[in-house]
Amino acid sequence: MHIDLKKEIKESGPGKAGLIILLLMIVMALLAPILAPYDPYQQSTASLLPPSWQHWLGMNHVGQDIWSQLVYGARTSLMVGFGVGIFSTLLGTIFGVSAALVGGIYEKVVMRIIDAFIVIPMVIIVILISAYIRPSIATLILLLSFLSWQGGARVMRAQTLSLKERANVAAARSFGANHFYIAWRHIIPDLGPILLVDFIHGVRRAIFMEAGLAFLGISDPTVISWGMMMRDALSFSYLNVWQWWLVPAGVALSLTIIGLTFISHAAEPVIEPRLRGVGIA
Amino acid sequence: MLSKRNVITYAIAFLFILLLNFLLPRMMPGDPFMAIYGDEALIAMTPELKANLVERFALDESLWHQIGAYFLALFQGELGYSYYYNAPVLSVILGRLPWTLLLVGTSLVLSTMLGIILGIESGWRRGSKTDRTMLAGLMSLNGFPDFFLGMLLLIAFGVTWGIFPLAGALTPYSGLSGLALILDVLKHLFLPVAAMTLAHLASGYMLTRNTMITVLKEPYMLTAKAKGLSQRVLKYRHAGRNSMLPVVTRTGIRVGRIVTGALFVELVFAYPGVGFLIYEALLARDYPIIQGVFLIVAISVLAANFLIDLSYPKLDPRVSYAY
Amino acid sequence: MLEIKNLRVSYGHDVVLNGIDLKLKTGETVAIVGESGTGKTTLGLSIMRLVEGTVRGVIRFNGKDLLTLSDNEMQQIRWSQIAMAFQNANNVLNPVHTVLNQVMEPMIEHRLKSKEEARNRATELLGYFGFPRERFSNYPHQLSGGEQQRVLLAMALADDPELLILDEPLSSLDAAARGEVGNLLKEIDKHGAKLVATHDLDTASKLADRIAVLYGGKIIEAGPTQDVLSRPRHPYTRALIRAYPNMTTVKDLQGIKGRMTHSVSGCPFHPRCTQAIDTCQTKVPQLVWNQGRHIACHRGGIITLLSTRNLTKSFGSLKAVDSVNLYIEAGETLALVGQTGSGKTTLAKTIMGLHPPTEGTVYLEDARVDKRRKDFYKRVQMVFQNPGESLSHRLSVLEAVMEPLDIQGVGTKKERRKKAIQVVGEVELPQTKDFLNKYPHHLSGGEMQRVAIARALVLDPNLLIADEPTAFLDASLQAKILKLLLNLQEQRGLSMLYITHNIAAARKVSDRMAVMLNGKIIEEGSSNEIVATPKQAYTRDLLRAASTLHSTESSSIE
Repeated sequence: MHIDLKKEIKESGPGKAGLIILLLMIVMALLAPILAPYDPYQQSTASLLPPSWQHWLGMNHVGQDIWSQLVYGARTSLMVGFGVGIFSTLLGTIFGVSAALVGGIYEKVVMRIIDAFIVIPMVIIVILISAYIRPSIATLILLLSFLSWQGGARVMRAQTLSLKERANVAAARSFGANHFYIAWRHIIPDLGPILLVDFIHGVRRAIFMEAGLAFLGISDPTVISWGMMMRDALSFSYLNVWQWWLVPAGVALSLTIIGLTFISHAAEPVIEPRLRGVGIA
Repeated sequence: MLSKRNVITYAIAFLFILLLNFLLPRMMPGDPFMAIYGDEALIAMTPELKANLVERFALDESLWHQIGAYFLALFQGELGYSYYYNAPVLSVILGRLPWTLLLVGTSLVLSTMLGIILGIESGWRRGSKTDRTMLAGLMSLNGFPDFFLGMLLLIAFGVTWGIFPLAGALTPYSGLSGLALILDVLKHLFLPVAAMTLAHLASGYMLTRNTMITVLKEPYMLTAKAKGLSQRVLKYRHAGRNSMLPVVTRTGIRVGRIVTGALFVELVFAYPGVGFLIYEALLARDYPIIQGVFLIVAISVLAANFLIDLSYPKLDPRVSYAY
Repeated sequence: MLEIKNLRVSYGHDVVLNGIDLKLKTGETVAIVGESGTGKTTLGLSIMRLVEGTVRGVIRFNGKDLLTLSDNEMQQIRWSQIAMAFQNANNVLNPVHTVLNQVMEPMIEHRLKSKEEARNRATELLGYFGFPRERFSNYPHQLSGGEQQRVLLAMALADDPELLILDEPLSSLDAAARGEVGNLLKEIDKHGAKLVATHDLDTASKLADRIAVLYGGKIIEAGPTQDVLSRPRHPYTRALIRAYPNMTTVKDLQGIKGRMTHSVSGCPFHPRCTQAIDTCQTKVPQLVWNQGRHIACHRGGIITLLSTRNLTKSFGSLKAVDSVNLYIEAGETLALVGQTGSGKTTLAKTIMGLHPPTEGTVYLEDARVDKRRKDFYKRVQMVFQNPGESLSHRLSVLEAVMEPLDIQGVGTKKERRKKAIQVVGEVELPQTKDFLNKYPHHLSGGEMQRVAIARALVLDPNLLIADEPTAFLDASLQAKILKLLLNLQEQRGLSMLYITHNIAAARKVSDRMAVMLNGKIIEEGSSNEIVATPKQAYTRDLLRAASTLHSTESSSIE
């Protein structure tokens, strides 16, 4: 893995574009209190108003400012996204690397469990669980992480299997190193790019999922979410309000996901060098 | 990469689903009966029925007894009774299932086929403007959640231009039959399928395109070119046939994704399938239905995956038949 | 039918083919012979216009220049008129289609046959090449290398092409199969023409009427196959044959010094050539017709280094050397075989000028040699029979080896020393101070002979005359000395006149042999021929009397 991931992303057109989009969203999320002129929760009687100078995107059906909601929605999406991304990559690394290093029955059991989870559609399970427990953001992050680390784990394990055959690992073992040391010092650094790509995939998937769950109405109702905005807007698709209500939320969501897609596409040649030079840029 | 998923994997997944279904309501605080059957049930149920159910599912006995009763009932096809719909869960679900199958099936086939064809064409012209545009376009398309796409299509074609109907699978009370009926179904099916197909086009496309790029470098492509074969034959019979293999392997995973996508899309179009059913059940807190749908959907996806795994060796002769 | 003129193919800066001229007539088979990476496959691919690099020149097929055709037109020609059986490697056949389908495919796609007819013809072709019927529905990865090769051959003939290009058609077959398939290939398609690209001389000799040798992107020799293989006239061709293990050649295997490098100025072979001159470094030789053969060499092929005409030496009434006509080519070893007293040593000494000839002349590269001047000795050196005598016991090893340099006045003393030490290393002797200061009587027989050889080599001669160099040595030492001489020839491009009474040893080191009896040369020819088919009774006697390990009377000398 001598390819510089950062360089790869920076040098591809779409990669750069993706990065910019993502940064914009992050800025929006971080600066939400500043960017939002109104409290997104505050209801009023001025419902379904079109955009005006005071309310850039108009008002929704209970008189809340849509622009403020949009801005705060970014927070939710990104928090869940990054939370799940980090946590699932972490779990995936732990299990994947350990499975490869330890081997034996432990590996077999872990792999079977991983394969079993991969086959089960994640969304269904989350819906089921959410039907009983309305998850808070934190619970949701944990839940999604537990259901999505398996894919990455498989890749990590495969990589570790080949890495551990290398001479530097053999040398370390000959000095008496144990699994932890080898994993920490020799394996994980080399996994860098794959970890990052797995992370990006995790973020992307989680943002998707969170929006979907909010759309279904089974996420935390006290949290502003783009998905929730779209759900509310759905009932009013007969009116013109969709232009400033549905579309911004949907576009914000889609753009964020597209941005992440572009970044991960630019990073792909890191893992599959044969694809270099035949991407978009 | 085809992983050697064998029966044990599926068995574990299957068990997990069943256990989850079993355990969840019982882990909730309060009366498990209420948790299983929901508030509605308690209002509508007669005491005799309640006693009957308690006995049947051993709800007043130990956990082990309950598991036993649960599995027993399952294998008898007994999924419980929905008080919201006032009918056995199984029949409610079966009534809605065909629509979802229609939606999912059509979308799966269309998105896979189109994805493969576009992937072949794109990969063939790798690096060209057409390729790059398609790639950028499809990647962007992929970023749109299927329900958003659905809503946009609905608003554009349904509301604004009125070309397609806005909801449902059939025009209600129309009493159509034969060809007219089929056309009516198709009209209602069009937008939902379009939304799903578009949303799930990219994954098949990307995979095929990437494989195509690798395949085109293989020696047998030079051999084929030397045989003086036409572009079309080279593209499809030689390169394409090799490039589509990974997509077909991954169809299992895509089934899972498309099924979950269907849940959302049915909601948008009020399409009377299993997805819309779950949505209604969530609103009404009709737990038996929710559980029933969950079981059926999860197991169907597992079964689909399993069947696909079994048929893969037939498509790629290099995979040994020994499993 | 096929005419290639000045074909140049390059990939970026790499020039693979540097001006190829070739003609192919209907019904003939031409083999393009070269080692790996020389561009044989590229040549085949260029004819089919499947090469991705830059292609320049003319490829005329049935009158049309293929390089000017449009893609569509070329597509029509491919396979139906010109087909190629690719080199058998992994994934040359499409892994997801059955063998039968792949053979049938071109016939159907080119609308030459209906599906039924195609199936019949494909069955016929596969059967012709011995591919078992039960395996028709198999996939390529399920076949062995030999089976895959047969499929490739059958597939190539599917459209009944006029020109068939075969790339290493026999390489993945075992020896028995090679003979069988080779015959099949010869019989089939006599009205078409075949181009065989191979590194294997055996394949070439089996299949081809004419052979063209490829080196450094150019054809350096071309002619009728048996002619070229039995009497190669380009130094590279000769070296190639010498390096090729086969049942015909008796001489030990030799490599070619150096390695093939691309982008060499002038003649591509000159860094490794045994007879390169100045022009060879700067100008590229053209392929010209020269005495029944095409040859690309500034010197017209292998030159004759030394020759004698009617050379006679008499001592009084005794004719020790009687009208001898000999020639030695550059880079070859001629063995002079005869019993004691046949005049061998006298002949050697006469050539060296140690005896003035009574009659006749000696020519060095076609120049008459009358007086032996210093230049002569720079180019012709001799190793005598008895090193104990030929090495002065007054001189140490170093001094002895330096002596010729001193006499010739080459360079400074320091340079001469350096050169001498280097040559001592070449003959595989230690270069330590200790050793260099030893005197001959401290050395073993083998060491002394090596010193003598080193001394002979120090002037970098072209011709080394070795007079019974191993006569005074034990058998094991003999083997080492012989090997040393072979290596030196390989490394330095030496010619050798190897004088011996031992015909068994002679055949191991010589390309050609001359049998001497009573001062006359009674038989002369290539070593293979003399050993296999001796014409003179005396020669036969010699062979029969030669050392064998079998005590039977049969005169089957291998």
